[in-house]
Amino acid sequence: MITATKKWIFLKLSAVIMLPLMIWFVFQLVSIYNMGFEDINSFFVKQPNKFLFSLFVIITYFYSALSISEVFEDYIVNEKLKNVANKILYLFAIIMPIFTIFILYKLSL
Amino acid sequence: MKNDNPLSPHIQIYNWHISSLVSISHRITGIINFASLTLICFWVSYLVLGKDNYELIFIFLNSFIGKFLILAIVWSFSFQILSEIRHLFWDYGIGFELKTANITGSLVIVGSFILTLLIYILGKNFLI
Repeated sequence: MITATKKWIFLKLSAVIMLPLMIWFVFQLVSIYNMGFEDINSFFVKQPNKFLFSLFVIITYFYSALSISEVFEDYIVNEKLKNVANKILYLFAIIMPIFTIFILYKLSL
Repeated sequence: MKNDNPLSPHIQIYNWHISSLVSISHRITGIINFASLTLICFWVSYLVLGKDNYELIFIFLNSFIGKFLILAIVWSFSFQILSEIRHLFWDYGIGFELKTANITGSLVIVGSFILTLLIYILGKNFLI
């Protein structure tokens, strides 16, 4: 199987997992965004919110990184520049979920 | 290895129609969602600094700009949800006919605004 096919399968699988999580999250976002510190803190430390939000962050970064790398593929001519852009994108998409989940678990302590 | 894949033509060459509008918007909202998710992650991370430091964020999110930002994020996510559902149907070979593609494209555009309103009203009044 060529890399592009693998990428497409991962993109579609992540989309299927991401859609219900995204619907869940936008509903929660509008209901909590303007609340005070205690309410928002308790929302993110409570289960299943903590688990669902962690999963949402992982899957959405994964899906977004794959989607944006497609944009790079279509619009960046220079191969070196494209490789650097992709590496920065993937690194960011790995670091951000790890950082956020670490913070979430720190909030629960 | 030299990549001989053709690049996408410049968007100004095409006459605008529904499918191209939805396609380019799908890509733009994808990038906006990446940035929005990063903002959301920083927002959650800010909680670790404690209640006193959160005051500034609280004031911002309760301001007109803060509410507008949230609505914009919800619209961008809504667009992506509907557009991705359209793509998943295409992956099953459904909806490729020109007329159907135009109808579903229009549904994605109009539906994203309706879904945003629906999410905002339901989320504000019926959750938590």
